This record gives sequence, C-alpha cells and structure tokens, in this order.
Amino acid sequence: MSETSAWILRALFVAVLATLPFLVNGYWLNMAILALIYSLVVYSITVLTGFTGLLSFGQAGFVGLGGYTYGVLSVKGVDPAAAAAWGLLVPTVAGFLLGLPAARLRGHYLAIGTLGFGVLVGQMLNNMVDVTRGPMGLLGIKSFGFDRVTWFYFVLALAVGLCAALEYLDRRTFLGVVLKSVKYDEISASASGIGVFAVKLLAFSASAFLAGSCGVLLAAYMRFLTPDLFISAESFRYLMMSVVGGVGSASGAIISSLILTAVPEALRAFGETNVRLLVYGLMVLFVLWFLPGGIGGLIDRLMTPVRRRITPRPRVAEPAPQPTSLPGRAS
Amino acid sequence: MSIPMLQLRGVSKRFGGIQALQNIDLVGQAGEVHGLIGPNGAGKSTLIGCITGVNRIDGGEIRLRGDRIEQLPVHRRARLGVARTFQKIRLAQQLTVFENVAAGLCAKRFATASGWRGVLAPLSSRAIAEPVEDALVATGIADLADEKVASLPYGKRHFVELARNLVAEPDVILLDEPATGLTDDEREHLSMLVRQMAERGTLVILVEHDLNLVGRLCDTVTVIEYGRRIFNGTPAEAQDDEAVVRAYLGSAKLAKEAQA
Repeated sequence: MSETSAWILRALFVAVLATLPFLVNGYWLNMAILALIYSLVVYSITVLTGFTGLLSFGQAGFVGLGGYTYGVLSVKGVDPAAAAAWGLLVPTVAGFLLGLPAARLRGHYLAIGTLGFGVLVGQMLNNMVDVTRGPMGLLGIKSFGFDRVTWFYFVLALAVGLCAALEYLDRRTFLGVVLKSVKYDEISASASGIGVFAVKLLAFSASAFLAGSCGVLLAAYMRFLTPDLFISAESFRYLMMSVVGGVGSASGAIISSLILTAVPEALRAFGETNVRLLVYGLMVLFVLWFLPGGIGGLIDRLMTPVRRRITPRPRVAEPAPQPTSLPGRAS
Repeated sequence: MSIPMLQLRGVSKRFGGIQALQNIDLVGQAGEVHGLIGPNGAGKSTLIGCITGVNRIDGGEIRLRGDRIEQLPVHRRARLGVARTFQKIRLAQQLTVFENVAAGLCAKRFATASGWRGVLAPLSSRAIAEPVEDALVATGIADLADEKVASLPYGKRHFVELARNLVAEPDVILLDEPATGLTDDEREHLSMLVRQMAERGTLVILVEHDLNLVGRLCDTVTVIEYGRRIFNGTPAEAQDDEAVVRAYLGSAKLAKEAQA
C-alpha cells in the first residue's frame, strides 16, 4: 500500500465515522461516543507502554481521578471549563508523583506497583463518601451544553486529532526515537545521553494526562459517576483494547476501542447470557493468535516502508574504504 | 603539559568479594588511540563501565578535561562527550538504523538545558537528518538506513553502533572489542574510522583482542591483569615487556621461545 492509498484509506475511515449520526440511532451513537472517549485512555497506554515500554495496570485510577475531579467540582458549582482544567491537572500531577517511584521499577514490579495505585484510587473513590458520595454515585454533574450529535463530532475530532498527533510523534519526531530507545534498551539509551528517568517521568505524566482527559469527558458526557466505573477490571479492559489494537499504534487504538465497544453491544442479540462474553473472549483470542501485532501490526504490514536515498553531501564526501592503500602503522 | 582529555587515578572497583580493579592509573590525550588489553576477565570491560558510569567506582578519581566525573550518572557523562560501544552489541533491534543513529544525537542535543525544546523536531529536519546521514555515510551503511537492526548481519551492527557514537562527535570514545566478528574488509574500514576519529582530536580507547590491530592502531597501550595495571607504554615496548608477554601474549609464545 503506497503512501497515497494510505491517505485515502485514512480519509475514508474518518468520513465513514463522520456520517454515523445519519446512519445509526441514538443508542448506537451513544456507543460510538463512549468508544471514542475510551480511545483516549487507550492512547494513554500507547504512550506509556507502546512508546516507552512501561506497563501499567492502573490506568483506570487516572481516569477516575480525572472524572471525579471534574464531577465533584462541577457539582459544587465550578464552571465546567475550570473544572475540566482541574480534571486534567490532578491526574497529571498524580502521574508524575506515581512516576517518581514507579520509574525506578521494572517488569512485574512496575505492573504490581501501578495495580496498587489503581486499587487505591478505586477504594478512595468508594470510601470518601463526603466528597464523592461513594457507591451512591455522583449526580448532577454539569456538562458543556452540547447535544448528542455535537458531542459525537467533538470527541471524533479529538480522538482523530490525537491519533494523528501520536502517529506523527511516534514515526516522525526526535522525541519518538528518544521514547522508543528507552523502551528497547535502557542501557544503550543512557549511554547515548538520554536521561532515562526523566523520560519515564515524562511518559507517566503524559499518559496520566491522556487518561485523565478520558475521565473528564466521561464525567461531562454521562453526567453521572460511580466508583465501579474505575475499578481495576477497567484497567484490564483498556489494556485489552490496547493489545488488540497493537500496543504502540494509535491508529490501532482508535479502531480497537470502536470495535471492542461495539461488539459486546452487538452480541446482546444473544440475550443477556454469558454466551456473549464467551464469544467476545474468543474473538479477542483469535485476534491475538492471528494478529500478534494487533490491528496496528496489520496496518504496518500493509504499508510499504519509506526508503530514503542518502547521497553523501559534498563537504562530507569521504573516500570509500580502500584497505590496500592504507599506510600501515606497523609496530 | 596540557590537561589530559581523560585521566584515571587510583581507580578501584570491587564486586562483592572480588577486587575487579585495583589502583588503575590511565592518561589519555586528545587525538590519541589508547589500547586497553589484558587476558579475559582482567577487568577491561569493568574499567570501560567505570569510565562511562555503568559501574560506580569504590576509590580513586576520573577526570574528563580536568573535571571530576566519577559521581555523574551515565547519561550526564555521555552529554559531556563520553561515548562507547558495547562488547555485546546493544542497539534497539526493532528500530531502523536511521533511528538508532538519531538516538545518538541525544548526547549532543541534551547537553544544554534547552535541549528539550528541539525534541518535537521532525526526523527529516536538517538538524537531525544531516548529521545522521553523514555518520551513516562515514561508516559505510547509508544504504541500510531504513533497515531494522534486527535484520542486519552482525558485522554491520558494529558499524551502526559506531555511527551512533560518531554522530554525537564525542571527545572520548570507548570501543569494546569492536573488531569481533568483522570481515577483513570491515576490519580495515574500522581501522580507517579509528584513525579519522583520532585525527579529529577524539581520544579513542580501544579494547581489543586482535593484537595485530592494536599494534597497528594504538599510540599507547595499557595492559591490565587481575585488575591491576601491569604495563603502560607504546605497543612496541609492550611486545618486549616480560610481564606483558607472560600475562597476555600467553604461554604459547613462551613455549615457542623455549623450543627455539
């Protein structure tokens, strides 16, 4: 697939999504909006795990912090824009603070550490009844005053724009190389002058920011929150979306969050039995069997890699190695 | 005499009960090719680790251009101009040659506090593409720029690592057995690169088992055995030094002499 046809496909994908409000009923439009909001938390995993190689089992914690910060402030009468700003700031700071110890952990230890954070936030939201109303749920959250179709286009623009930005960051910028160098080999990264710890802190903060933005949007869109929206099982659901999409591929992330949100709903045709979950689980397994790189891996395989042609510039034109003509400094 | 580029004084390193390095002195001048040789397990790679910061030393001092660096972490020393290759090549296998070499630019770009400002620069921008392409041309791997490192033969990976170092224009470059697994042609190309680096004023520290190569390239050699420095001088002197011959050139040579 050439670069041109890839652009046509991208445009087609966005165009099809943009016509959804005319094609589907309110129920499915609602699902599409939620899926696009959830794509933001999948992006947060793209940045953290996909680009930088840090595994987090606690992303739902950041989503919860963002959602409840917005929700609680909004209920207290804070202007939605200000509440949203706080809803982005609080999880970002939490991500930075979690990063301070977590960036020193690796592998399983990092996974368990972040899981602990997720559980902590979940429990906190449940038990701080005075602030969050706990299991009774937070009611009366104010929104941005959008109707449903506006919401759809708003989150669509956000999700597609972020997807493009992340793909660009990943493939085209120096920062992408810096992040991936840390992911693939920390020792050679630091020998090349990369401050591995600082990069990990940045990744944690950026990831928490993205997850927090997902929370803010969820709260503003649904206008009702309960702590069980942010339990650890949710973290694993996001992780599954990320894996099916291909960890590290933002394009895969948005497609996978759309599919993995739509399919369980479509499977309700089976009735409210567990058959639905069985089919869903099998489907995910099949994706992983046949597409180990996820949807993003498939996209990469279809793309023809760009080849650059490097011609030596005049001022660096160095002679080709001519072994025989070298003066030996015989000892 | 001017301040040496790199100066080690009394460097010691202990791993648990093993004294890996004891009281090592080493002086390297800008533009010098300095061989570091010794039998397997003598402590050569440990010493490289001490200079680059992977290993924290237990005693002594390391000075770069007169400033002590032994307390600095690895990435800070890299930013001050200390580059290295690894005995067991360390590259991002899943990234392309171009990306691996571009990562080498970090040492230069992050050397100043404002370095973070340029991180969003596209890889195709001149500030990045030009030095990377120059390094690829110099190391003879320009045609492999968009190959993944994982798909390259072993010898070529050495040159990717070299390009990654060269692109940062380091003041000190530590090559840990760079000729291992190279063909004769590649070995010659490596020799040429080492000479060019030295001509540009870089201090090259070469850890190598190929004594022929060491003899041809190095101005000075330091020989270590069991973590102690047993010799420092020119390669020619080293060949005549009894301790060196016994320790490193091995029993084979002594046996041959005994036969003669």
